Amino acid sequence: MTADAESVVAGDRRALARAITLVESTRPDHRDAAAALLDELLPHTGRALRLGISGPPGVGKSTFIEAFGTHLTGLGHRVAVLAVDPTSSRSGGSILGDKTRMERLARDPSAFVRPSPSGGELGGVARRTGEVLLLCEAAGFDVVLVETVGVGQSETAVADLTDLFVLLASPTGGDDLQGIKRGIMELADLVVVTKADGDLAATAAHACADIRRALHLLRPRHPEITPVAMVASATEGTGIVEVWEAVTAAHATLRGSGALERTRAEQATRWLWSEVRAELVDRLRTDPALAPVLADVTEAVAGARLSSRVAATRLLEAFAAAAPAPPR
Amino acid sequence: MEVAKLRAARLLWARVMERFEPKDPRSLMLRTHCQTSGVSLTEQDPYNNVVRTAFEAMAAVLGGTQSLHTNAFDEALGLPTDFSARIARNTQLILAEETGVPHVVDPLGGSYYVEALTGALADKAWALVEEVEALGGMTRAVESGMPKLRIEEAAARRQAGVDRGDIVVVGVNKYRPADPEHVDVLDIDNADVLRRQKAKLERLRAERDDAACRAALDTLTAGAEGDANLLELSVAAARARATVGEISDAMEAVFGRHRAVVRTISGVYGAGYAGDESYEKVRADVEAFAADAGRRPRLLVVKMGQDGHDRGAKVIATAFADLGFDVDVGPLFQTPAEVARDAVENDVHVVGVSSQAAGHKTLVPRLLEELAAQGASDVVVVCGGVIPPQDHRFLADAGVAAVFGPGTNIPAAAADVLRLVRDRLPAA
Repeated sequence: MTADAESVVAGDRRALARAITLVESTRPDHRDAAAALLDELLPHTGRALRLGISGPPGVGKSTFIEAFGTHLTGLGHRVAVLAVDPTSSRSGGSILGDKTRMERLARDPSAFVRPSPSGGELGGVARRTGEVLLLCEAAGFDVVLVETVGVGQSETAVADLTDLFVLLASPTGGDDLQGIKRGIMELADLVVVTKADGDLAATAAHACADIRRALHLLRPRHPEITPVAMVASATEGTGIVEVWEAVTAAHATLRGSGALERTRAEQATRWLWSEVRAELVDRLRTDPALAPVLADVTEAVAGARLSSRVAATRLLEAFAAAAPAPPR
Repeated sequence: MEVAKLRAARLLWARVMERFEPKDPRSLMLRTHCQTSGVSLTEQDPYNNVVRTAFEAMAAVLGGTQSLHTNAFDEALGLPTDFSARIARNTQLILAEETGVPHVVDPLGGSYYVEALTGALADKAWALVEEVEALGGMTRAVESGMPKLRIEEAAARRQAGVDRGDIVVVGVNKYRPADPEHVDVLDIDNADVLRRQKAKLERLRAERDDAACRAALDTLTAGAEGDANLLELSVAAARARATVGEISDAMEAVFGRHRAVVRTISGVYGAGYAGDESYEKVRADVEAFAADAGRRPRLLVVKMGQDGHDRGAKVIATAFADLGFDVDVGPLFQTPAEVARDAVENDVHVVGVSSQAAGHKTLVPRLLEELAAQGASDVVVVCGGVIPPQDHRFLADAGVAAVFGPGTNIPAAAADVLRLVRDRLPAA
């Protein structure tokens, strides 16, 4: 193993942090180096419980994850939190505040919290997050939480990276339930109604019952486990233990039935295809040999002189002719 | 404007209080304390601040304030000296005893302009009151972080105006002196302060009646569990020589600790700059860096120690993000070790320390040591905030790459930071 890979496996924080940067880098030479590093680390991966956590803005994700993560480290787990920020702005710079909102967990010696900027493209983030997750596993974290703000598309991406998906819902009753899109609800293995304390305790219980009913009508993501809804309060610390018990029970079921292995295999295949897609598009766009053809067909399509289907075929044929991939 | 603000505030106070049908008509009267503006104080050409503060103090008196705090002219440079504090006090004495303005009640009442302004302000402010009410009251609004966010938004917008030169600040972005005046700034020896405070605490603890103090604190804790008058119990505890820390702890045992919701804004600063050439140049440089390095320059903005003044840090965060940096914002009251860990885990290029409470001479060297201890001595450290000019050298020797005082032009600072980061980048 190279020194870098050894440091990651040895649990060196700085080495892990730098490896994440490498994996997230957009520079071609970094991407090659990242691929080599991941290759080396692959035997050390796969041992963590991978949990996706999402919910609409303002639902209390950070507060929940802080309470949840602190509970886990208290049980002796090593917890990595990957906060994916899918919002992109015009200038492209991001403000990353997730870690600040989990101040206590961020100080916990058994935790590692890393917020990642979006870089603008949603698919791209999730693609790298899958690799970052592997790095965290190699560094010995046995629970990896992938957090994303719920904006529709990002949940699907995160659910596709993780073993189980927890959806956080706000306690403010039935109105909100309709706010959660059906497709998102179908992804959830567990729905947690947050802020179930004080004035909101009763409303939260009510919302939870609504969600439980709604879950019955949906097709679960994993046929082996029945999605459940529960209430929790991060400020009072209630429900946190129960959520973890539900998660571990579901995970054990998945593992025992072989569904975990199957899901991960399917996910890996999907990653493969999304890598292929992204890489292919990237090459088609940037290969200098294709630039003239690309310019031609783009113009022709824009001028309605060529159908997009014919144009695509022409471009791909040019690619096949121009690039018998050089052996590396 | 400041006069109209106070007049409008009195109007609204009476409007709010009327609902409660006060038995004593004096309850309808708003009593205010005013402090002259800290944000208007400049590091450059600091004697101008005497004039600014005098005008502000005059406006407060004309507006009818009941009590007044005048800032010292050197507070953008450091903590006030005896000299600057005397000038600040004398500003008040001159207003009170030489000018005659305090002798008349509401001297500007009836001026068409001030009356119109008062009316307009009252209407806008009332809309805000209603917005807060709709959120469920001020406590809920504070919990949601809304008021702080609005203030930070306004601050970012103003900063963009100053940086562009749309808002004139004499001596900063217009009429800059060729030969800046030297001002002696109070030197704070943190180690000495710490030693003296510790000695004072020890003496206090040795001299007080511990049993009585403990009893008063326990009564306070018990009171917090019920609904006793906590102010009264706190005063009793203070009389029994309990420290502020102990009094807070006694209540924290029941209430827990308030944790401010850190919310950040984006786009506000940049919006003020649309189309500006130098701004676009910095942004283009940032994009070029991102292409070369494989990621955007990443900045961690931090507040360390007992220093809760984070508006400046927030303005920096939003402005740098608008310029294309990825910006991590640290929580308040961090220790140097925590900051170093955040810097390592997030793998930032640069840590920006915002210091407003004179802690930089101890906290910043500690941060550099911690970074080195965690294997991250290549991280660039820059400082901003209220840092006396004579400390710049000290910080540079400790390893700080740059110090940005108040009144720094942000795009220029961003260009500096980018250059520093580039210099440290390992050759590809």
